Amino acid sequence: MVFKHEQLLGKSRFRSSYDAVIIGGGLHGLATAYYLAKDHGINNVAVIEKRYIGFGGAGRNTAIVRANQRTQENLPLYQEALKLWPLLTRELDFNLMFYNCGNLNLAHSDAAIKSLRLNVSSAQFHGIDSRLLDAKECKTLVPALDISDRPRYPIFGGMYHPPGGIVRHDAVVWGLARGCIKHGVHIHQNTEVTDIGVKNGKVEFIETTRGKIKTEKVLNAAGAYSAALAYQMLDIRMPISVLTIQAMVTQPLKPLMDHVVSSGAYHVYANQTLKGEIATGSHMDPWPNYTTQNTAYYIKHQAEALTELFPCLKGAKFMRIWGGLADMTPDMAPIIDGNDPVEGYFVDCGWGYFGFKSSAVTGKYMARFMATGQCPAILKPFTRQRFEKHRLMGETAALVEFSPNN
Amino acid sequence: MSLTITCPICGKRSGYEFRYGGEDKGPRPDEDELTPEKWFDYTHLNTCIAGMQKEWWCHRDGCGTWFKIYRDTRTIGEVPLPVEDKIKDA
Repeated sequence: MVFKHEQLLGKSRFRSSYDAVIIGGGLHGLATAYYLAKDHGINNVAVIEKRYIGFGGAGRNTAIVRANQRTQENLPLYQEALKLWPLLTRELDFNLMFYNCGNLNLAHSDAAIKSLRLNVSSAQFHGIDSRLLDAKECKTLVPALDISDRPRYPIFGGMYHPPGGIVRHDAVVWGLARGCIKHGVHIHQNTEVTDIGVKNGKVEFIETTRGKIKTEKVLNAAGAYSAALAYQMLDIRMPISVLTIQAMVTQPLKPLMDHVVSSGAYHVYANQTLKGEIATGSHMDPWPNYTTQNTAYYIKHQAEALTELFPCLKGAKFMRIWGGLADMTPDMAPIIDGNDPVEGYFVDCGWGYFGFKSSAVTGKYMARFMATGQCPAILKPFTRQRFEKHRLMGETAALVEFSPNN
Repeated sequence: MSLTITCPICGKRSGYEFRYGGEDKGPRPDEDELTPEKWFDYTHLNTCIAGMQKEWWCHRDGCGTWFKIYRDTRTIGEVPLPVEDKIKDA
C-alpha cells in the first residue's frame, strides 16, 4: 500500500522556499495547486498536509454534485463545477466516475413547494436544467418512493435536477494529486503548519513541523481547521462554526434508486452506489466539535427517515458509518478572500457541506486569484466583509432551527 | 459517545435536550456606542478553538434556563468550571 502511494505521488524534496504554499491537502488545496501550475505556470508550489491527502472532508463527504442552489451568486459557480467533471476526467487521465444520475429533492409541505419553485426558477434563469415535479411524477422517477398518506410528512412533490449526480471523491483526490505532481507541485504529507510569519503586513514565511519555508503567498485551505488556524496564527476571527456531519452506508442491495434522493423535512439524502449500498447522510450534529464520532441518535434518525420514504428498506442493515467536519457560515456560502488584511494571505473556507461539489471550479479561480492578485468576478461575492455589512446571502431562508418547513 | 450537559436546575441530561447558544463572548455590547463592526464582532465572529471552550447553552426541552459551561470540542465532553469562574459567574 505504501509502495503504491509513493508511486502515485512520487517523493519530493522539502525546499526552504516556495512561490506559493497551500495549507491543506484536501480537494480545494490540491485543485488550487494544480491550476496554479497548469494554468499559470507557477509550479514552485507546496501543498502542506497535516495527515494525508484526502483525510478530511475530501474523503468523508457523500460525493453528491449538483447546481440547484438558491442564489444568483452561488448558481453560476456550481453550474461551471458540474461541467468541469467530464473535462477533468479527460484532462487528468483519471476516471472520476461521474455518475450523472440526477437529483430529486422532495418537498413535504406547500411551503416547501413554494420554496422549491423559487429554486427552480432561479436555476432556469441561469440556464440550468431544474424542474418541479408533482408526487406522481416523483414516483415515476423513483418507483420505490412511498407517496401515500402513510408517512408522517407525506410527499407533496419534488425538484428534479437532471445534470447532477455522484462523483467518486477519492478519485478526485488521487487524480488531482497526480496532476499536481505531473506539473511539478510538491505535496508534503504528515507535515503541520505551526505558524504564518507576517512582516509589515506581508506574508514572509511559514513555520512547519519540518522546518521554515520562505514564501510570499499562502492559501489557507485547511477545511474545518481553517477558522481555528486563522485565529491562532493571524488573530483573524471568522464567522464560522465547525460541526460534525455523519454519514453511513447499508449493506449492498439490488438496484432500486437510480437518482440522488434528498428530503429537507426528513433531513436525509441518499443514493445507491455502484456497489449497491445505499449511502446516506443527515444534517449536522447540533453543537460545534472537532470529533468525527458517530452517535446512536443519528443511526436511529437515519433509519427512521429512510424507511419513511422507502418502506422497502426496512430490515436493511447499516454496514459502515463515519463522520466528517463541516465549517458552517451563517448564510451557508463560503468565505473567499485574498490580500486582506494581510498581503499574500489567501483564504478559501466556510464551505460547510458544499465543499466537494465546488472544489475543482473554486481551485481553478482561486489559482487565478493567487496568480494575478485580482479576485475573479465569480468569487467576488464571497468575501468575509459581507458579514460586516450584514449583507448575508439568501442561500437558506432560515437557519439553525430545523423543522419540516425548511 | 454522546454529549451530556449539566443544567444548573435539572442536573445532568442528554445533550440533545439542549440548544447550543454560541461561544461566550462576554456581555452584549452597549447599544449607545454600537457600531456595525462591533455588532458583527459580537454576532458572527468565533474563535473556533479546538480544545477548551466556554459557551452558552439553553435547556430547550427542559426548564428553559440559559447558562454557561466549559466543553472540550475535541472530545465533545463537558468539563467542570474552573474555580475562579465559579466565583465570577455566581
